[in-house]
Amino acid sequence: MSLFNKFFRSDKEADTSRSFNIPGGIRPAEYKSMSLRSRIMPTPVPECLILPLKQHQGDSALPLVTVGQKVLKYEKIAVARGDLGVPVHAPTSGEIIAVELSPVATTNANQDFNQICIHLAPDGKDKAKIIIANSDYNSLSQAKLIEIITDAGICGMGGAGFPTARKINPSNELGIDLLIINAMECEPFITADEALVRERAAAVVIGAEILLAATSASRCVIAIEDNKTDAVEQLRTALKNSSVELKILPAKYPAGGEKQLIQAITGKEVPTGMYPADIGILLQNVGTAYAVYRAIVLGEPCISRITTLTGSTLQTPKNFETLLGVPASFLFELCGIDEKARVKTIVGGSMMGVETLSNDIPITKTTNCVIAGSAQEFPTPAPEHSCIRCGFCANVCPAKLLPQQLLTYSISQDQEQLEEHGIFDCIECGACAYICPSNIPLVQYYRSSKSLLKGYQTDQEQSAHWQERFQFHQYRGKKAADDAMDKKPKANKTKERIEQETVTAFDDSARESARQEIAAAVARVQARKPRIIASSNNVDQDKPEGNSND
Amino acid sequence: MTSLASSSPMQTSSQSVSDIMKLVLLALMPGVLVATWFFGLGILINIILSCSIAIILESGMLRLRNRNIRHHLSDNSALVTAVLFGIAIPPGSPWWLVATGIFFAIVIAKHLYGGLGQNPFNPAMCGYAMLLLAFPLEMTGWHIPNEIIDSSIRLDSLGIPEIDKTQLVFSPFSLSGLQQSLLLAFPFFASNSQEFVDGLAMATPLIEFKMAAHSALLKTRDSGLFWLSRQAETGWELINIGYFLGGLFLLYKRIISWHIPFSILLTICIISSLFYAPGSVAVYGTPYLHLFGSATMLAAFFIATDPVSAATSKQGKIIYGVLIGCAIYSIRVWGSYLDSIAFAVLFGNFFAPVLDHYFRPRIYGHAKKLPQSNSEA
Repeated sequence: MSLFNKFFRSDKEADTSRSFNIPGGIRPAEYKSMSLRSRIMPTPVPECLILPLKQHQGDSALPLVTVGQKVLKYEKIAVARGDLGVPVHAPTSGEIIAVELSPVATTNANQDFNQICIHLAPDGKDKAKIIIANSDYNSLSQAKLIEIITDAGICGMGGAGFPTARKINPSNELGIDLLIINAMECEPFITADEALVRERAAAVVIGAEILLAATSASRCVIAIEDNKTDAVEQLRTALKNSSVELKILPAKYPAGGEKQLIQAITGKEVPTGMYPADIGILLQNVGTAYAVYRAIVLGEPCISRITTLTGSTLQTPKNFETLLGVPASFLFELCGIDEKARVKTIVGGSMMGVETLSNDIPITKTTNCVIAGSAQEFPTPAPEHSCIRCGFCANVCPAKLLPQQLLTYSISQDQEQLEEHGIFDCIECGACAYICPSNIPLVQYYRSSKSLLKGYQTDQEQSAHWQERFQFHQYRGKKAADDAMDKKPKANKTKERIEQETVTAFDDSARESARQEIAAAVARVQARKPRIIASSNNVDQDKPEGNSND
Repeated sequence: MTSLASSSPMQTSSQSVSDIMKLVLLALMPGVLVATWFFGLGILINIILSCSIAIILESGMLRLRNRNIRHHLSDNSALVTAVLFGIAIPPGSPWWLVATGIFFAIVIAKHLYGGLGQNPFNPAMCGYAMLLLAFPLEMTGWHIPNEIIDSSIRLDSLGIPEIDKTQLVFSPFSLSGLQQSLLLAFPFFASNSQEFVDGLAMATPLIEFKMAAHSALLKTRDSGLFWLSRQAETGWELINIGYFLGGLFLLYKRIISWHIPFSILLTICIISSLFYAPGSVAVYGTPYLHLFGSATMLAAFFIATDPVSAATSKQGKIIYGVLIGCAIYSIRVWGSYLDSIAFAVLFGNFFAPVLDHYFRPRIYGHAKKLPQSNSEA
């Protein structure tokens, strides 16, 4: 592909020729054009906004408000907690009507379906707290920029939701050399970033420049796929007098993945188990750059985002500039939904998104897309066949894994081979499951193997711990026996020594913790084998009856 | 309604296992048709017979294993095994020979190991190899029906039938040809011994070459025969070209990758060039004969590329192909068995797991050397 670009497209898109090839990848049907027909639409305010305390990766925020309290727009209603905390702000003025569990959808499949959310009933006046705009952002110091970004509650808007301030202020001393603004958006259905760049390229570029200043990186690259022609044109115009570079990369899924994008731009790979920052690279989503622009230049905390509402059950799929907390069902109504035709609601794209069973889930900081899909787009998957090891999956894997081997080891739960074949290097992009002619849900197998392995690893640590305990116990017993055999006259003394040792090894707190651990272990075993416990109980109960009959 | 949320990815491609198998069957057609043109309807009878028996056995095994018969039959894998087996065995084989071989292939080599995807050895070749060991006589002659069999056969000094080009006219497609083929397949239909005539028993060119120390194929070309004249010698060449074209079609459709077929063909080409001694009466044969004689192309593109029993990584596939190529040549030239394909592929199958273990692509973000743990234990 790069060779092709070199010879045939060098005059038109010179930027592509310098990119590196990434292995694997697929070209699924895009379904993007339907939501790009209209411009980004502002959203009316619904009757209730649902604001989860945890819209990011990290500890959930602590609410600052009580039920019945009136809040102003931009007011902080929950404060960041912990190292990876992110605050929450009121998107409009109104009254807090509840703080309770409600259904949410997060792109992280491991999180709970129900989370604590602040329910805000807007009063319609949209009374705002005073905010400070910094139109002269160049004059601000790096520390000040990071402080504003921290306070604005910005986290990765591409879906990962990692706290932005924390990311641009990494703890390592190497510093950041290259800042990449990710506008690739390679996943089907999602067009939020493309619409944003198409209509607000200038603001995106300012956001990128602010991030460049905040990270003190030496260069900044905006990466975009070559099939987003309108957006590319807008970026070219906006970047004319900017130090930020533009990189146009061939469209393929998952070229927008963090590791893949770094490989495509620099040719480097992020070493396994490390972060991009460890090789001096920082990635930010283009939506995050726009949120940073709003936070610094307009002084506005993160209270809205651009979200794609799409799927063929909607009459007019489009991108909304929506307040956070707006229920997806409200936006569906605005698009005109054919509820009968809807078979699935997916938050995120069709490759890595999660299905949600409730339409009332709110738009959060990480919700880039909600799909109300019909059976035509998401037919019931054909039943699974056996793996014939055709190797199509290995051809499309961007991490160069052997998914067919990983499947075998996942089924046999061969933990050693799973690790050796790089199960933890799987980015769960789903390219393998997409291409699989046997319709095997490979990613599901890998997810379960990963969680199994993580459990296994902790089990292993525990078993080492208990082995140590056991060995000590044996040693003590043996020593006591030896002493009793050899030094009968000095038995009392030996006993004393042993007691002393025991006391030093198990002081009171250690004993208490050991007791707790034993209780926890027993609880775990019981949870794992309820059937066995139940049956043994039955036996115990039966026995006395039998005896009485006799 | 559905109560469980499905897992990502929600989007899938449209190609299924049964589509892949259908494309493989389609790609086999040119070679099969050319073979039928030269060797008569016996080949088609073989294929039909083996396919029917294979489907019956597959259904029975699926039932015994409590699997959904319709769903698992729809993967068409049994048909591919049966067609490959039907092509490999000599035309005019009796029904019981076909049935024994396909039983071994489907029941023992495939289902007893856990069904599709679990078999360590290529089922069709297992069936073939078993027959070759158990019924060497039946497996080494190619019976070709012809009308004027009585007058046309002359035996050369080694006792191999030689074809009298002036008199013998093959017409395998005539009614009597079909009748003869059917009689060979179902000998119990013969009403009397007079009716049950043995067809012209032919050796494959490599077998003949081995015994007569010169190539029938080259001899035919020397004698200036037109390529399309229906003589068995030219047949092998065209049959191989047919399978070669089918293989290219599979490559174009990305059903198979180039690694296995090209490493096999290149290995055969190099070894046979190295050992070939023109002018001498050495029995090694020309590279041309090795590539286009016997079933080389069928083996390279269709049999060795069976993904279940082959190596899976790119480097592994290349080495797997080299091993099979070496084995094909060695067994042909130095081995005591007449046909080499089945044994060579099975030989390669033995190495597939170890190749999978040692030749893996470097994972993203990992150092060049693979972490070799103590997993050999």
